[in-house]
Amino acid sequence: MTSRDVHDVLNLPSDHSGAPRPSKKQKTSASRPNLKGLAREVQNLGGDNPIAIVPEVNFFKKRRFASRKPVAKWELKAFTNSARGDDGALVLRHWKKKTDVGAPVEGGQDGEGQQQGEGTSGTEDKPEDSAFAKFNVQVVVPHYTEDQYHSNLQNNDWTKEETDYLLSLAKDFDLRWTLIWDRYDFQPTPPGGDAANGDTSTAVVPAPKQRSMEDLKARYYEVAAKMMAVQKPAQYMTRPEFELYEMMQNFDSEQERKRKQFALNTMSRSKDEAREEESLLLEVKRILARTERFNEERRELYNRLDYPATDSDINSFKTSAGLQNLLQTLMTTDKNKKRKSIMPGEGVSPSSGVPNSAVSETNPANRRESIAASATSNHARRDSEARTPATPADPTPTSAAANKKKGGAQQPERRKLTQQEEQVYGVSYHDRLGSGPTFRYEKINKLYSHKSGQQQLRITNALSELDLPPRLVMPTAAVTAQFEVLWGAVTALVDLRKISDRLDGEIKIEEAKKAERDRAKGIVPEAEKEKEKEGEGEKGGVGEKDGEEKKDGEEKGEGGEQGGQEGEEKKRPGSSGSLTAAGHKRSASVLSAASDKSAKRQKK
Amino acid sequence: MAQPPLSSSVQPTDVYGGDEVSAIVLDPGYIHTRAGFAGEEMPKQVLPSFYGHITSSQRDVFGDQAIYPRADFEIRNYMNRDSAVEDWDTATKIWEYALIDRLGVPRPTPASKNGLNNKPKPAADGDVEMADEADLDETENYEKPMQENPLLMTEPAWNSPKAREKAIEICMENWACPAFWLSKTPVLAAYAAGKATVLVLDVGGANTSVTAVFDGMVLKRSVQRSPVGGVWLSSQLRSLFETSEPKVEVVPRFMVESKKPVEAGQPAEARLKTFDFQISPSFRAFEEEGVLKEFKESVVEVWKGPGRYLAQGNEDYAKNLPGRVFEMPDGSNQMWREQRFKVAEGMWDENAAFPSATEEGKITKAQTVPGLIKAALDAIDVDVRPALLANVVVTGSTSLLPGFNDRLHHELTAMFPSVKVKIHAAGLTSERRFGAWIGGSILGSLGTFHQMWISRKEYEENGAGIVEKRCK
Repeated sequence: MTSRDVHDVLNLPSDHSGAPRPSKKQKTSASRPNLKGLAREVQNLGGDNPIAIVPEVNFFKKRRFASRKPVAKWELKAFTNSARGDDGALVLRHWKKKTDVGAPVEGGQDGEGQQQGEGTSGTEDKPEDSAFAKFNVQVVVPHYTEDQYHSNLQNNDWTKEETDYLLSLAKDFDLRWTLIWDRYDFQPTPPGGDAANGDTSTAVVPAPKQRSMEDLKARYYEVAAKMMAVQKPAQYMTRPEFELYEMMQNFDSEQERKRKQFALNTMSRSKDEAREEESLLLEVKRILARTERFNEERRELYNRLDYPATDSDINSFKTSAGLQNLLQTLMTTDKNKKRKSIMPGEGVSPSSGVPNSAVSETNPANRRESIAASATSNHARRDSEARTPATPADPTPTSAAANKKKGGAQQPERRKLTQQEEQVYGVSYHDRLGSGPTFRYEKINKLYSHKSGQQQLRITNALSELDLPPRLVMPTAAVTAQFEVLWGAVTALVDLRKISDRLDGEIKIEEAKKAERDRAKGIVPEAEKEKEKEGEGEKGGVGEKDGEEKKDGEEKGEGGEQGGQEGEEKKRPGSSGSLTAAGHKRSASVLSAASDKSAKRQKK
Repeated sequence: MAQPPLSSSVQPTDVYGGDEVSAIVLDPGYIHTRAGFAGEEMPKQVLPSFYGHITSSQRDVFGDQAIYPRADFEIRNYMNRDSAVEDWDTATKIWEYALIDRLGVPRPTPASKNGLNNKPKPAADGDVEMADEADLDETENYEKPMQENPLLMTEPAWNSPKAREKAIEICMENWACPAFWLSKTPVLAAYAAGKATVLVLDVGGANTSVTAVFDGMVLKRSVQRSPVGGVWLSSQLRSLFETSEPKVEVVPRFMVESKKPVEAGQPAEARLKTFDFQISPSFRAFEEEGVLKEFKESVVEVWKGPGRYLAQGNEDYAKNLPGRVFEMPDGSNQMWREQRFKVAEGMWDENAAFPSATEEGKITKAQTVPGLIKAALDAIDVDVRPALLANVVVTGSTSLLPGFNDRLHHELTAMFPSVKVKIHAAGLTSERRFGAWIGGSILGSLGTFHQMWISRKEYEENGAGIVEKRCK
């Protein structure tokens, strides 16, 4: 009886079950052709609902392991453990799967006879090393020689013996201080028989001191740090080494003691205190969670508020250029938003970014309102402040954006180096670096080439006076820096001299003018005298040139130049003030000619 | 979920870091001596540390089956109450009996003499003695009885250097073991619990000890012990029976020939056996101890707390709890209600202990379980205390008293309210009973442990003193 029959009997609608049925039927009819003869007839007896006929199996189930390899053979193998450090004196034996195809071992699981037989054969060839030997690790404990101890590790509180004892314990217990302290039982060996009857006054042997764990640690770290520094000076240490070194050096036993005292007090709190503290902690956690949620919500709010201004003048967007502008601003804001959602920690202040400023400036009122509305606008501002230093002074907004992207993403990962570390790694910070590698001496050359040829000469002269080659032999960073300082000083000096020269010249001119004026007032013979002098001056000017050539120092050349100027000025007493500049120029050219010569001579 | 099982080609021993070298673990205690192969779950041989001594022929007989009423028979123990070996000659014999005769450690002796041909122990009592003696004689003839097997022995945390040296001497000289190791029971109990830094509370037969284990090593300063153990609890029971109305007589099972059921509280109606020889007091005490042990196992319970049993109202509450009936071997039976809590209360509260007749039965506050734990923790560095309290391992058979762990937890949280206290106690009875042995079994079958063994060569080079240097 099928279910459909039941449905018929009960007058139930069979519509819903009718649909899936035909497919089922097809399936059964499809499988039917396999059967033949009586089998098919029997099958048909079932009608729609075929009878489950289990075909008779007239063979046994296949043996599961028929295809398997023969049973694995095990053998009792001897092995040593190289971690013992006794050259394989202890040979133990364990059961191992047999690897080579040797004589089959009969009844391998049954111990007795097997063990005996294997025992003799196992010891013949070299036993293998235990696979566990590699797990034997040992701590590195500092070693020192007698000399090193005396030169570096002397301590009034600790004898060498006791230090040795401490280090041996540290090695034995793998630097587990709890154990070291637990087993620490140093018995100083008396130096002789007389120590036994020693008076208190003459007792040289100190009684074994009660060492606290902090004492032990302090001494060990002291020794370890010093020996580390002896083996490798601090500046050559790698970073982990240096960190370790610094940590050991900065071990403060007093602080440790206080910490332990504190821990002790914490442990001995009464039940009420503990409960109170627990509830307070819970409260703190709750408050923190709440602020976090609050921040999250506020951030979301900011993100929502961060849209381009709608209340600004629409006229600016009526032109195509204006529309383009709008599109761009929208895109930048969009980009920012995307970034913000990725980095929620950063997105608290939308007004911080430079690219945003275009937007934020269009609706300052709106922005101000929204910020003022939230009581914690401080937070946002602080955030933006915290972020600005990360981006170095940015010349253009685009580079600023790029910078910000980098700064924002990488800054948190980059570790702040300490002064010491900067020195160790030779890290220096630059405002801006030119693209590509440059030579340091090129930097110096650049400084030269920026100056006029005359000044270059003067500077070269000044440097040669200081016995410095114009081009550095070994331009290391430090040398270059020093050279730059020196160079700056020389340039300043040269400039100052130039100014002082000019002032001197002006003074002279003014004096000459005064003299002229005096002469115009009536003293003629003086004027004549002047004329005579003038002629002399001209000669002197030429003579000066020759004289200059004789002088070898720049300083003296300068002196000569002054003389030359004097002469020139005297040469044209009648010239007005406006002419003085020309005179100056001339004097400068004269000087340069002179110094050119001197330079040539120097080259020779 | 559907993780395929390891194929048989993968050796699970490698996976778990095991490397079995058929080491033997021997764990002697005051009540029982346990022995077995490392890597197994349970000790194969657990025999009483008490042994029979026949005064007439000056012979010793070992094992449960040898202890039955007979003439000129005394019960002795080779251990003392400190769980240290007292009688080394007998200790050697009893250990040899356990390892060689009972455990059947394979020997490189000719087949005619090896363990395979040892006659199995006859069931009849009478013949056992003979078999034992025969075995013992044979043992003495063995040249190197345990040449193939490294031996791992346990010792209490307070063992003396002399005893340790003696142990390695016996192992190396008498048995010619290839390697030896001596490990402290708290450390092994910690290994059995799968932890390296724990506070071990071992409530054993003769002793209760508290030891801090840090990174697999005993902190010597923390070792605390007191006699508050199973034997002490038996003495409390005796006091209880003395003081109860009517007095309860402990009649050992071997004395009862037949008994008739009686009403609760009624005197027993039993016919006692008569022996035509003197039953020694030591034998009777041993048998009585057996009865008391049964009583402890089935009746005694620890007051769970909170608060002490003597605190206001607790005793009245305990009186209303359902009691338990215990029938003595002679048929007398009685309902035990609040007494069953009171007996064990002395472990926690020295004021609640029954007054003891003997001096050693009296305990002080420092000897109670909380006192021991406090003293142990006070002696060690403050930094490790929280770690230890978070890993309190409870082992030892007496800790199987119902309610023990609950009470311990209450006591510890009351003592250290600001620290997280977690108690690890094996659920299986056998794991609690054989904690140290199981730890030794784990240790002895660890691949990384084999570098630790004191080899025969090392012993020969350095003498017995090496055990002090190596087994720290």
